[in-house]
Amino acid sequence: MAEFAAFLLSYETLRVIWWLFIGILLIGFAITDGFDLGVGALLPFLGRTDEERRVIINVIGPTWEGNQVWFVLGGGAVFAAWPAVYATAFSGFFIALILTLFALILRPVGFDYRSKLHDPRWRNFWDWGLFVGGSVPALVFGVAFGNLLLGVPFHFDADMRSYYTGSFFGLLNPFGLLAGIVSLSMLVMHGAIYLQLRTEGDIQQRAQQMVALATKVFMGAFALAGVWLLLGVSGYRLESFPGVDAPSNPLAKTVVRDGWAWAMQYVHHPWMLLAPIMGFGGAALAWRCSQQQRPGRGFIASSLALAGVILTAGFSLFPFIMPSSSDLNSSLTVWDATSSHLTLKWMFGVTVVFLPIVLAYTSWVFSKLRGTITVAQIRAADKAMY
Amino acid sequence: MISDTVVELSRLQFALTALYHFLFVPLTLGLSFLLAIMESVYVMTGKPVYRDMVRFWGKLFGINFALGVATGITMEFQFGTNWAYYSHYVGDIFGTPLAIEGLMAFFLESTFIGLFFFGWERLSKLQHLIVTWLVALGSNLSALWILIANGWMQNPVGTVFNPDTMRMEMTSFSELLFNPVAQVKFVHTVSAGYVTGAIFVLAISAWYLLKRRDLGFARRSFAIAAAFGLASTLSVITLGDESGYELGDVQQVKLAAIEAMWETEPAPASFTLFGFPNDDTMTTDYAVQVPFLLGLIATRSLDKQVLGIKDLIEHNEGRIRKGMDTYAALERWRAGQRDDATKAILLQPQNDLGYALLLKKYTPQVTDASPAQIQQAARDTIPKVAPLFWSFRLMVAFGLWMLLLFVLSFYYCARRTVENQRWLLWAAVLSLPLPWLSAELGWVVAEYGRQPWTVSGTLPTHLSASTLSIGQISFSLSGFVLFYSALLVVEMFLMIKYARLGPSSLGTGRYHFETRDAGQASLAAASPHV
Amino acid sequence: MWYFTWILGVLLACSFGIINALWLEQSGFPDEAPDDDPGVD
Ligand code: HDD
Ligand code: HEM
Ligand code: HEM
Repeated sequence: MAEFAAFLLSYETLRVIWWLFIGILLIGFAITDGFDLGVGALLPFLGRTDEERRVIINVIGPTWEGNQVWFVLGGGAVFAAWPAVYATAFSGFFIALILTLFALILRPVGFDYRSKLHDPRWRNFWDWGLFVGGSVPALVFGVAFGNLLLGVPFHFDADMRSYYTGSFFGLLNPFGLLAGIVSLSMLVMHGAIYLQLRTEGDIQQRAQQMVALATKVFMGAFALAGVWLLLGVSGYRLESFPGVDAPSNPLAKTVVRDGWAWAMQYVHHPWMLLAPIMGFGGAALAWRCSQQQRPGRGFIASSLALAGVILTAGFSLFPFIMPSSSDLNSSLTVWDATSSHLTLKWMFGVTVVFLPIVLAYTSWVFSKLRGTITVAQIRAADKAMY
Repeated sequence: MISDTVVELSRLQFALTALYHFLFVPLTLGLSFLLAIMESVYVMTGKPVYRDMVRFWGKLFGINFALGVATGITMEFQFGTNWAYYSHYVGDIFGTPLAIEGLMAFFLESTFIGLFFFGWERLSKLQHLIVTWLVALGSNLSALWILIANGWMQNPVGTVFNPDTMRMEMTSFSELLFNPVAQVKFVHTVSAGYVTGAIFVLAISAWYLLKRRDLGFARRSFAIAAAFGLASTLSVITLGDESGYELGDVQQVKLAAIEAMWETEPAPASFTLFGFPNDDTMTTDYAVQVPFLLGLIATRSLDKQVLGIKDLIEHNEGRIRKGMDTYAALERWRAGQRDDATKAILLQPQNDLGYALLLKKYTPQVTDASPAQIQQAARDTIPKVAPLFWSFRLMVAFGLWMLLLFVLSFYYCARRTVENQRWLLWAAVLSLPLPWLSAELGWVVAEYGRQPWTVSGTLPTHLSASTLSIGQISFSLSGFVLFYSALLVVEMFLMIKYARLGPSSLGTGRYHFETRDAGQASLAAASPHV
Repeated sequence: MWYFTWILGVLLACSFGIINALWLEQSGFPDEAPDDDPGVD
């Protein structure tokens, strides 16, 4: 028992656990806030009249706020567990992140203010605001991940100050954009199937058609990205490093480029193949369930697909978090970008206690708010609904 | 090195976005408890007017909350985007409260807020009441954790420099949590929020009373706000500050600056009520002084001394010199000379490395600084005095005024004659902006007074920024200003529209604009018979 | 311990608000209809 505790709380294990926790957070974000983003991106297309759009908004209205906390917490957790990544990635991807923030800012206001005035121009404006607030972040997250797989041009000086030497448009390379499409189509799939679950009639039918379209685009883009990654993207490999429990100093290691590094992960650890399989399988299953009018199961399947995609990216990179393309040794890895041992321990304890509590009350809230939303309900509670 | 312009623009952006965020935060903190109070009374008495109160003030709460969230998201990521060196240098400690805030507070608040608005028909009365209390608890917990983070920047406890990773690392979580500066800050800041909520309800209710509409609704809201506000103002004023000041280097500097105390006076020091502080001559022109008062406020004693600015500068010059020795040790360490003596210097908690970093502004080498440069850096440790002096006095004046307002409101409310005191009702309406002004001024005192540091005595502001281009920051800064200003206009428009409509906006058919004879209708609504 | 003070203080301030309202209800308003049957929703 004591041995197990010592193993669990060792610096090495905690570093891996925190890699997992951040992954779980990302997956939690994709599953919960992901459908909100997807629904936002679909709003102007699936809702033809004002009332239909209100139905769509009210499907996610009561819960989107809590879901978004997964994103906010993602920021906080990366700060606490990987301060070097928080500093380097966010200042490096400056313009992309600022644009994402601008887009996200439209959402709270869009949901809450849209139906408080009757002017159709006002409502139309916010509908497009919600569209931007849903689609831009979905796209940018994918582009960012794509660029992580390619490596990002940054380096540290001796004081550990980071310098990003790329540009915003450098992020918009073909592979990055393809990753953006993977991410956007997968969240649209997820949002559409959620809408199918919680609406009726016309909207539900349109949502079902959208699931079919989005799953196809997603599977195509994911497959293409996979092939491209294998054949066209040169990975990174740790040549030597001071150790899995050495102080977090990224400059103490040597990294080399290796054409097959990302693919070799799956050769060395074949079980990792489960991740991409989950990505494809989940999407295919989601499509099937959707066609068979079983959106509930479809939602679970599409959640699996999201988890599969995120894990695929994570597994390919491990132990890298953010490889540097311009100064290989500045790359950030799980072994040298983390907080101190004590901080990881404390954060581990806090997470183990509070995450289950959060999950418990979140499910209670969702269970209280379940059921379909209809135009009739909107009419009946005009002033109380979004 | 980073150019001064980049640092200045980053500061401006942080200050503006934080001040915007703090336009919405205090109302969330205070109004959430007021909603919980109203709903408790509803559950206890069963009178529908109290449910209407929760729903109506809840609507205004929602309008405010949306922008609180919109501006808060920016804050969460801004340390990384604009303060990358800071984030790396102290993220090991500073990131922790930020992450816990998300896990413990934001989830609670944001998950239940949906149920608060949309759960009326889906929950029992008691369940809904609990949800409302949880929203209030969540918002206050979020204040707790962010102020622990901020309090650590003012008084960085429980941390040590690690030369291998070139950053500060945590040595004690409990010291971070129980940091006395953080505790005082928390109580003062949330109380400021309660005052804000109370003035908000008080002022708008007073306006309905002046217009003689929705009387039953308005007088009940007024009564609750008066009682809650009275308690909160007392807490802001008495519990709030003073006590944080004996601790922490920068807090001492701040105290001297707030009081424009140029010289150390023999205890107990006198308090400067009024005057024009002059940074160049280091004197206060036209000063009006009250003997002994400052000594009493700052040290709660008659014999402890309060250090003046001139002495603090001299003291800090000594610390810079000590820091230069530490910096020399760090250079040796990095050059590979890792002996115990060097290590001992570096790991000393009071190694004053931060003070040496102040010199980086003048010489990147640090160890070769000239005496003139050292003097200049010591002079830099004192922020500009006049803005602090004035901000503080205004905040305090507003606080005292609001106390008077609440005392009178409570008194006349208890005597059932507020409705006849039209001057008092007008005073309440006109005082609406004061808590916001006080809170913003308070942050100016706290943050501007911390300059030139981001982390007191540890990391100077000019080193903390990211290596961005001026173009990038101009883009983000102008974007935020445009965006937030537009949203603020929209928010004010909706607030005013709904405040004017009053409870009629609920569509219950019981209130002013929904019935012919205004006042009577709401009296009827207040009593269950009709 | 200021945190502790806060917990007590908030509870006190909230009870103050609640009690003030209950007391007003109890003693009634001169111009409102008498209220002898609370609990009707
Ligand atoms: C004293 C209180 C206080 C202070 C100093 C701050 N905040 Fe704040 N914050 C709140 C009190 C609060 C709140 C009352 O809890 C808010 C305001 C409205 C709301 O929705 O919650 C909030 C919202 C809010 C949100 C949105 C949460 C959500 O999605 O539910 C974020 C991400 C932040 N804040 C982050 C920050 C950061 C990074 C700050 C420091 C730089 C900061 N806040 C200062
Ligand atoms: C929401 C309430 C807050 C307000 C209104 C506020 C206000 C300010 C102001 C006015 C400045 C500018 C000081 C100057 O540049 O001269 C500033 C700077 C700064 N504040 Fe705050 N602050 C708030 C909360 C916080 C919190 C909670 C933190 C830390 C968690 C923080 C960290 C900083 C940092 C890093 C800077 C930039 C560096 C600097 O100029 O000092 N602030 N803030
Ligand atoms: C007589 C009354 C008051 C006194 C003596 C007082 C004192 C102070 C002092 C000394 C600070 C600076 C703390 C620091 O530098 O760390 C401060 C900050 C602050 N004040 Fe006040 N204040 C009073 C009233 C108010 C009122 C009425 C409000 C708002 C309604 C308010 C809101 C704030 C806020 C938000 C801060 C920044 C957070 C903090 O540092 O605690 N204050 N106050």
